[in-house]
Amino acid sequence: SLAKKIKEEKMSNLVEEYFEAHSSSKVLTSDRTLQKLRKRRLNQETLHDLLKKAPLAYAAEIKELNQQHESMFSKWLLQLHLGFNIVLYGLGSKRDLLEKFRTSLLQDSVHLVVNGYFPSITVRSILNSITEEVLDHTGTFRSPLDQLEFITKRFKEDSSLELYVIIHNLDSQMLRGERSQQILAQLSSLPSVYLIASIDHINAPLMWDQAKLSLYNWLWYETTTFSPYVEETSYENSLLVQQSGSLALSSLTHVLRSLTPNARGIFRLLAQYQLEKKDNPSYPGLSFQDFYQQCREAFLVNSDLTLRAQLTEFRDHKLIRTKRGADGVEYLLIPVDVSTLTDFLENEDEDV
Amino acid sequence: LGVNVTDHDLTFRSLSDLLQNNITPYIALLEAKDCPGIKNLMQKLMAQLMNCSIDADSLEDEDYVQVSQSRIRCSMSSLIKWYKSGTQKTDSETPSQKRTSSTYWQPPPVVVIFKDMESFTTKVLQDFIVISSQHIHELPLVLIFGIATSPMIIHRLLPHSVSSLLCIELFQSLSCKEHLSTVIDKLLLSDQFPFKLGEKVLQVLINLFLYHDFSVQNFIKGFQLCILEHFFSQPLSVLCCQLVDLKKRINSLSHDQCENIRRLPSFRRYVEKQESGKQIALLTTDNFLKEETERLLEDLHVYHYNYVSVLRCLHVFTSSLPKYPLGKQIRDLHCACLENQVWETEEYESSLQLARMLNKSDLVTMLQQCVEILLSSSGKEFDKTVEKLKEFLTQFQNLEAEAFQERDGSISSQKELQKKTDLYHLQKTLLELKESRRSKKLTKFEMLRFEVVDYIDCLVRNYLVPADHRTLHEILYFNTATVLRGHLNAAPRTALHTALNNPHWYLKNQVLKCDGGSISNKAPDICIVYKLHLECGRLINLVDWLEAFATVVMAAEAPDADTASSDQVDDIIHARFIRAVSELELLGFIKPSKQKTDHVARLTWGGC
Repeated sequence: SLAKKIKEEKMSNLVEEYFEAHSSSKVLTSDRTLQKLRKRRLNQETLHDLLKKAPLAYAAEIKELNQQHESMFSKWLLQLHLGFNIVLYGLGSKRDLLEKFRTSLLQDSVHLVVNGYFPSITVRSILNSITEEVLDHTGTFRSPLDQLEFITKRFKEDSSLELYVIIHNLDSQMLRGERSQQILAQLSSLPSVYLIASIDHINAPLMWDQAKLSLYNWLWYETTTFSPYVEETSYENSLLVQQSGSLALSSLTHVLRSLTPNARGIFRLLAQYQLEKKDNPSYPGLSFQDFYQQCREAFLVNSDLTLRAQLTEFRDHKLIRTKRGADGVEYLLIPVDVSTLTDFLENEDEDV
Repeated sequence: LGVNVTDHDLTFRSLSDLLQNNITPYIALLEAKDCPGIKNLMQKLMAQLMNCSIDADSLEDEDYVQVSQSRIRCSMSSLIKWYKSGTQKTDSETPSQKRTSSTYWQPPPVVVIFKDMESFTTKVLQDFIVISSQHIHELPLVLIFGIATSPMIIHRLLPHSVSSLLCIELFQSLSCKEHLSTVIDKLLLSDQFPFKLGEKVLQVLINLFLYHDFSVQNFIKGFQLCILEHFFSQPLSVLCCQLVDLKKRINSLSHDQCENIRRLPSFRRYVEKQESGKQIALLTTDNFLKEETERLLEDLHVYHYNYVSVLRCLHVFTSSLPKYPLGKQIRDLHCACLENQVWETEEYESSLQLARMLNKSDLVTMLQQCVEILLSSSGKEFDKTVEKLKEFLTQFQNLEAEAFQERDGSISSQKELQKKTDLYHLQKTLLELKESRRSKKLTKFEMLRFEVVDYIDCLVRNYLVPADHRTLHEILYFNTATVLRGHLNAAPRTALHTALNNPHWYLKNQVLKCDGGSISNKAPDICIVYKLHLECGRLINLVDWLEAFATVVMAAEAPDADTASSDQVDDIIHARFIRAVSELELLGFIKPSKQKTDHVARLTWGGC
């Protein structure tokens, strides 16, 4: 009972720690930011190149693991045919494994591969590819439900139709919604549709309730591969990868090049003001009245109306954002991060 | 209906079939997911009703076309029009149809079944009820709601004005546990099927049922998986068949399969017990082995027949005992018997003791039940047992007369007791009575009772030997519970946890081995990053994280020659860090945070 007591104590400690950590909104971390790091941010391409250079650790062991999983292939096929669907979980990308399953066993049969990690995939596109490619039906449907009904009917009528569906990352952003899961579940419950899917997110099982689980009829297989998620994370916008920054800068300069000198001056003024206030985290932006005053003083505008027109143009190009403060005053902000703005101003200075 | 939503489909389908055959051809089954709005609901309803009646009436094709055309415009009025024409049609049709419809000359009701009341939007439901209640005189509607929780939900979902339009009558379905009991009774405890479940597997399935989902369908799915797994992995499962086919199959065994038999652990135990001459014959001659196997398998089948009937007898006894030491249901008893030698357990001991105190009428009824069970069982060995039990019964009947006398005797002694009201005497007589009772020989009834209980006990000992102790049980019993649990009730989180904390578990490399808590600096990147992230609070600074990671990785690579320029190494480390972090993001451990620049928020707590 002593061990039990210790365990209980540990548990209660854990619980208390949890609430302690979550009670205050203050978090103790250092204030250093990546900006201050002397190195430049990497972009997607250089990252890819660098990673190619880095050798994959424990390649031999990983290969052995994969071979273990591959020995299950024929069993999977049998189980798929008996009405179960297979779901793979575990650390590491399961893409290559599924790909291998496809090439080694499904070469001769009709199969559909769905890349769930692809950011613009939708259930509708999955259903479309079934109706168009597999069933040779060229027609549109009012709703996915109708489409599903059509598919169900066709599959029930024609027992010779068989379809293997492989879904990489069933739990990805686009497919995790309730509706899409419902439709996929119904699809997978058809006896001649065999589904094999992989999940990665730790909370993936949360998206299925009893009814869906029974439709899916899962058989779980643990396939820990330890292989890196190359394809999957290439769409994941990481904080560390420089992405939107370069794009925003070039678009910024391009748009501003096409403007009148006065308009450019207006934007400069706003940018400078924002840079001065960059250390103040609660800076709401420049209020319209103040801005108008400053622009007048710099002889950039002569009336309220012209400034408003100019700002509207900026807003259309998504160069500025207006926010209404607590006191009802309109505040103007440039929704670009500080470094890009600094770069922009430096470029401008060079040009002039 | 219960919370086991997965089983409801079957119930509803048989209900609608039943209604269709007996009462009315007009039945519609509605599901919440098809009806997000009142329009969809009406469309669905119309389509189903019209198709239903076509199925039932089997009309000509042109009518079908008409109907499918009219599906486009679906409103209550068109439904009523159709219904009227439909009823008129059935009224004025051929005589044969007339006969069927004349049995209920008033028009048949239209039944609408709502499968899952809880998931319907209240608005749709209310609207539908109000609309249909307005047309009730033209269109006799009967609504059936499938409620997974309690009837309270009707009043919560529907306001008073709507629920007052309904005339509610509640029906209750069987609880899922009772379903499970029947399934187990018919499926596992029957002698029809040669395939059996081992104790651990059964325990896993029952636990899944009782602690997770209450779904009989999932139980059956698990059972299917067991069958599949058994016949897939066990090479000797070909012999898992009816006795009739057994001989043929055994004769067709190849030499390798004979070797497989020899390799079975239970068979080895059996061989070790034989004398040496037979041992050699068993291990070398295939034909002798085949004969022996056939005999053993027949024994196993016979054992199972006997097992089941004795188990039922024992259940009759234990299920009536107070507090149910051996469990209330027969499945509990079955598990207990499979798990161990049941007579060695404490529970069995206590239940025997309780059984020795049973009164006579109970005992008699129980014995009668046992006799019935044994008579109905197909095993032939019970003739003797039955006779013995019948003998017991007759003895009991004979006892009755004596029992009366005895009772008289005891009454007289009590009368004596009442006479002497003196306290001192009372005490004395009480003591005397006690003493006499202690010293007195047991009454005939009590002796008989002991005899019966002992007999039952010995029955149990003879027939309820756990299957594991029988020779060749591997052929009929499936007992790999871990496989089953892994496939049915997986824990992806735990798998991730071990993979991240303990990469050694998967990657069998000596370098990775280290004691718990710490992690070797040679582990895969993602494991190091994960470990470092565990040390942080709710928010993580990316810069610090990167630096910590770089330190760890540099320490690991320092022994290697530092040929590459430090700058390039730095870049590579940076890239590896980025990859690991984005992998953690994909796995759902962290998410980018807007609270502070270049910070990420942790989404998990504690060890995992």
